[in-house]
Amino acid sequence: MTGVRWAYALNQWDTNIDTFVRKREHERAFKTVSISGFSAVELTAESFGAWEPLGTPQQITDLYGSVGEFGQVLRDCALKGISSYVYDPFVGFDVEMGRGYDPLEGASIPKITATAQWFARAVHELGGDVLVVRPAGSAWQTGSLSDEQIGALARCWNEVGAALPQGVKLALHLDFLSALRLNRGVERLLDATDAGLVGLALDTAEYAIAGIDPVDFYRRHADRVTHVQLKNARDVVDDDEALTPHAEQFVRTEGGSRGVGRWFFEPTDEGGLVDFDAFAHALAEHHYSGWVVVESDQSPHPAESAMVSGWYVQKVLRPIVEDTLP
Amino acid sequence: MTIKWSYMDHWRANGPSGPYDQWQSRLAMTRFLRQVAAVGFDAIDTFDFRIWQIFEQYGSVANYQEFVQEQGLERIVNTFHGVYYTPDRYAPEVPSTHVTILDDFKRTMDMWSGIQLDNIIVMPGSRYFDEAGVPDDGLKHAADVWGRVGELTQQYGVNLTCHHEFYAGIRTRDQIDRFYSYADPQYVKFFVDTAQHCIADVDPVGVYEAHHERVTGFHFKDTRHKDTNHDYRMFPDAEVSATTTEKWFYEMGTAEGLVDFEAMMRSVRDHGYTGWISVEHDKADKLGGDYAESTAIARWYAKNVLDGIYQEVAS
Repeated sequence: MTGVRWAYALNQWDTNIDTFVRKREHERAFKTVSISGFSAVELTAESFGAWEPLGTPQQITDLYGSVGEFGQVLRDCALKGISSYVYDPFVGFDVEMGRGYDPLEGASIPKITATAQWFARAVHELGGDVLVVRPAGSAWQTGSLSDEQIGALARCWNEVGAALPQGVKLALHLDFLSALRLNRGVERLLDATDAGLVGLALDTAEYAIAGIDPVDFYRRHADRVTHVQLKNARDVVDDDEALTPHAEQFVRTEGGSRGVGRWFFEPTDEGGLVDFDAFAHALAEHHYSGWVVVESDQSPHPAESAMVSGWYVQKVLRPIVEDTLP
Repeated sequence: MTIKWSYMDHWRANGPSGPYDQWQSRLAMTRFLRQVAAVGFDAIDTFDFRIWQIFEQYGSVANYQEFVQEQGLERIVNTFHGVYYTPDRYAPEVPSTHVTILDDFKRTMDMWSGIQLDNIIVMPGSRYFDEAGVPDDGLKHAADVWGRVGELTQQYGVNLTCHHEFYAGIRTRDQIDRFYSYADPQYVKFFVDTAQHCIADVDPVGVYEAHHERVTGFHFKDTRHKDTNHDYRMFPDAEVSATTTEKWFYEMGTAEGLVDFEAMMRSVRDHGYTGWISVEHDKADKLGGDYAESTAIARWYAKNVLDGIYQEVAS
């Protein structure tokens, strides 16, 4: 018996404001996730901001009457609840057509903190215990972050971490275009933050695309990793490409000069940049306790990806991570 | 043994090079089998017309079953014997074609003898092609040939079992009852397809209970339409050519379905059926459907609703 719990992210279903809205669609996804062997789902507020179905506690309330009633729907689908919510402070939730807040700016901290608390209360009510956040902007926007900027980010996230309700942990998520990929930004931010307040969400594909070996990184920072997101990748984006102006659009969405059609893949044994077997052994060696959230962003076949991932978790990863190999 | 769940291997999806199925490559088959295993199915059923692809891709039927087992499934339980029936060449109601039918099964059973199947499933009557329907003599001829085929298949340890399509010649409750009254219960078994019977306005629970002693399997699938427009007459295959209904079949476990699976499961339990129940939802990809999702939803329903009913003590 370990403290590892397996969840599945809804990313590939939840891609726009006019799809994945009806309860019927949600229930089909939840049942698919449940029967594939996962006990919870991860929600995200990243794709379409305030209007995104299931993207905010307000949207959940508007669709289901209350966060609590949504939790009952999850349980009726044989899930325990949610594992976590992903919150990007650069997305505006309180101003119509507005942008969010940059954690580098001190004036943003109260706003980000209040929004983080809003999400965290929903996480807690829905049985989860992690708030995943985008801790910094993109590399092209700031270049390598100075020590002063790292200090500003640390102040923001320490304050947010201290303000979350009991039982909800804060986990910083590096995306492959983040400024934190430059000049050891992640390590420097970890050093600058309070380990008791700020943890790390390690996303295997984002690290691999950023040219960081997720297995090696995990082994070096296992004590700070409080959340794991598991997905695969096939292409690396180097620092020069990450510095492309508006890289979120031109690299992540359009695929850059190479025309990469899809960055993220489900974890399987079919090849790719991530060595999942080694990663699973590393989790076991360090007695990882917490959520492992499997993701398959960009999958054209959400159910197929959840099921194939479920097989890989049940037959390969879970016996390693939970040390139940014969 | 109580009950176990098998998946009848209808599958298709759109890939980068267009539509494909699990027989496109061994990788596609691997992913298909893993999806089926991931959601808790214990086995698969298949079609015997895949035999040549099996030989080419896997070398033998036994090798293919090993491939299935490597993905965490127990075995291949049943095969469906699909034939393009025509009265001049191959039709159970037409005695002059019976030699051809028997020869076909000798060859088929030899080709599949590398593994142990439970059932070989057939359409006991031709497709509907005659306004008058199958005459009583035709039912007797069909019962006769399937009795002889069943005697042959049992030499291989396999049941010959009959599956009644809604557009087939033996489709109504009266036709089904008369057919089985003529057919030797030792050699001619019954395979209940809940949706096919429902579409033909035959109560699947009622027909199961009437003939449960010779039932050797099920296709648990759902429909949202009964055939009220005589679509069954649309030769050659009303499942795909009916003009009024583009999609007949749905996975079980949705509110819109017409089949009462809870009643079906209670009856299965109360009549002491043990063994395999196959889940099927052919053409699930029509009208925007998705085979993978339908398979997950059906298995979720089996696990979270039907298994509990089966485990209840019979009232």
